[in-house]
Amino acid sequence: MTTANKSANAQPGGKPILECIGIERRFGGITAVTGVDLAIQPGEIFGLVGPNGSGKTTLTNAITGFYPPNVGKVRLDGNDITGTSPYKVAKLGVARTFQNLALFNGMSVLDNILLGRHIHMNPGVLRTALYWWAGRPEEIENRKVVEEVIEFLQLESIRHEMVDGLPIGLKKRVELARALVAEPQMLILDEPMAGMNQEEKGYMSRFILDARAERGVSVLLIEHHMDVIIGICDRMLALNYGEMIASGIPREVVKDPRVIEAYIGGSHG
Amino acid sequence: MFYRLSGVYRVNYVSDGRMFKVPADRNLAVVFLFLGLAAPFIVPSLYLNSYMLPWLIWTAAALGLNLVTGWAGQLHLGYAAVMAVGAYSAIHAARFGLPWEIALVIGGLASSVIGSLFAFAALRVKGLYLALTTLAMQFVMDWVLTHSPAISGGSHASLQAPTLELLGQEIVSDTGYYYVAFGWCVLVTIFMLNLKRTGLGRALVAVREKDYAAAILGVNSFYYKILAFATSSFIAGVSGALLVATFFFLAAPEQFSVNVSIQVLAMVIIGGLASVIGSYFGVALILLVPGLVNGVVTSASQALGMQVNVETLAHIPNAVYGALIVVILLIEPLGLGKLYGNIRDYLMVWPFDQLRK
Repeated sequence: MTTANKSANAQPGGKPILECIGIERRFGGITAVTGVDLAIQPGEIFGLVGPNGSGKTTLTNAITGFYPPNVGKVRLDGNDITGTSPYKVAKLGVARTFQNLALFNGMSVLDNILLGRHIHMNPGVLRTALYWWAGRPEEIENRKVVEEVIEFLQLESIRHEMVDGLPIGLKKRVELARALVAEPQMLILDEPMAGMNQEEKGYMSRFILDARAERGVSVLLIEHHMDVIIGICDRMLALNYGEMIASGIPREVVKDPRVIEAYIGGSHG
Repeated sequence: MFYRLSGVYRVNYVSDGRMFKVPADRNLAVVFLFLGLAAPFIVPSLYLNSYMLPWLIWTAAALGLNLVTGWAGQLHLGYAAVMAVGAYSAIHAARFGLPWEIALVIGGLASSVIGSLFAFAALRVKGLYLALTTLAMQFVMDWVLTHSPAISGGSHASLQAPTLELLGQEIVSDTGYYYVAFGWCVLVTIFMLNLKRTGLGRALVAVREKDYAAAILGVNSFYYKILAFATSSFIAGVSGALLVATFFFLAAPEQFSVNVSIQVLAMVIIGGLASVIGSYFGVALILLVPGLVNGVVTSASQALGMQVNVETLAHIPNAVYGALIVVILLIEPLGLGKLYGNIRDYLMVWPFDQLRK
C-alpha cells in the first residue's frame, strides 16, 4: 500500500517499530514472562519460539494490552503503549491473529474481513438508519480494500461462505486477511501454521513474505515449525520458562545448546 | 421454486449490498408492505385496532430489544421499564403543550438517557448478573412510577394521553392510529435490516461473539454495548409512547410491569435472536395466539355442546400457548425466524436438494 517495501532488509540500530523493554508479567505466584527485551525493526520478520508454556502468548498479550506487563515498557514506533487497552492498541496499528482462531462464527468470510476495517470506519446509528446516503459510500470504499486483500490471499471463491464450515487452513488465512485489511504497521501472528501440512505451510509463508513486500508490515511471528522460522525470519528470539535464552539470526540461534536443550530436552554432545 | 438464486448476478458492490439478496424476499417484502398499507380497507376495523395495531407496535418494541439482546448479546429484563419512561415522558411533554412529533422524540431520548445510564452501571457485569441488574432496573422504575404522583398520578391512577396530532393532522380515527403504528414499525424494521449490512451491525455481533477478538480489531466493547442500549431504549421509548397514544389512551404503571418485560423477551426469543422477520412471528405468537386459542376453544365447546366453565376456558389458552412455546423451541431453538429460514433454504434449491452444501 502506501509504505510498500519500505525495507526488506532491516537496518539494525535504526528506530525500532516495536520495542519491549524488561517485560515481566506475573499471574499470582507464577511469573509467566520476565526480563524480556526485544526490538523489531520496520519491515522485519521476527520469530518468537519456545516450548509450550514458555510465555510467547503472554508476551503478545502484554504487547496488545490484554495482560499489561507488571514491569517493563512497550513502545510502538517510539510511543509508550504500555497498558493501553487492546482496542486502542489496534487503532494505533497493531493487528494480530490468535493461536486458537478468533473468527466470528455465524458471519460470512466477507463480513469477518470487513470487521478488520473497523478502525478505518466510523460506524454509527445515523449511518445505519440513513444507509443509502450516509452508510453505503463508506461500506463500498472499505469493501474495495477488503477485495484487494481477498485477491491477495486468494479467498475469492469462499468470500460469501460462512466461516464455521471452513477447514482450518482457510480459517487461518481468513484471519490473516482480517488482520491485513486493518493496514497495520505491526502484525503479530500467533502460530499461524499450527496444524498445517507442508504445502499449506509453504503457502502461508509466502503470504507472510508477500505481505511484507507489498504492504510493508513488520511481523512478529510465533511458530513451532523451525523450518518456517529459519526460512522466513530475519531475526528471532527463543524463550524458556518466561526468560530469554537466545536471540539473533535464526540459523545461529537454533544451534544454541540452550535452545536445543529447551526444545529437545538434554544436550546431545 | 420462487425463492430462486439462479439468474441473479451481482455485478457491483451496490447490488452486492442489497437489503434482500434473494429477489423473492424483496418481492415478498413489497407485497407485505402493500398489504400493510391496504389493511384498513381490507381488515374490519375491530381486528385492525385490536390485533394489527398492537402487533405492529409490539413488533417495533421487540425489534428494539432484539437489538440489545439478539445483536449485542446482552440480556435485558427491564425493557418494559424503558418503554414506560418513554411513554410517560412523551405524554407529559404533550400535555405540557409540545407538538406530538417533539413529544415522541423527547420520549425516545428520555428512555435513551435513562436506559444508557442504567446500562452504564449494569454493563460492569455480564450474563446472568446483567440480567439481574436489568431486572432491578425494572423494579426501581415500577417503584418510582407507583410512588411519584407527579409522574404517574399515583399507584391506582392513570394518565390521560392528549389527542395524537402528527404533521398538523389530528389523529382520531382507527385508520389513522393504524397508519401511525404501521409507519413506526416500518421505520424500525428498515433500521434493523440495515443493521445487517453496516459496520455497526458487524461490530455488535463481534462484541456478542468474542469480545477479545472484537477488541483486537479496534472495537470498543463497552462503547458499543452502551450504544446498543441507547438505541434500543430510544426505540422502546417511542414504541411505549405510541402504544399509549394509539392503543391504551391512558398510561398506567401496570402496563409496563415486570411481566411485560418478560413477555417482550419471550417474543424476541421465540421469534429468534437477531432475526428481523422472527420478531414479527414472535410477537404474533405471544400476542395473538392466546386470543386465537380462546376463540377456537369457545367455538369447539359450543359445537360439541359441552359446558365449559369460565375458569377452565380462561386457562386452556394459557396452557396451549405455553405448550406451543415449548414445542417450537424444541423443534428450533433459534426460533420462528430460523424455522422460516429453514423452509426458505429448502425451497431455494427444491427440487434439486442434492445441490445444497
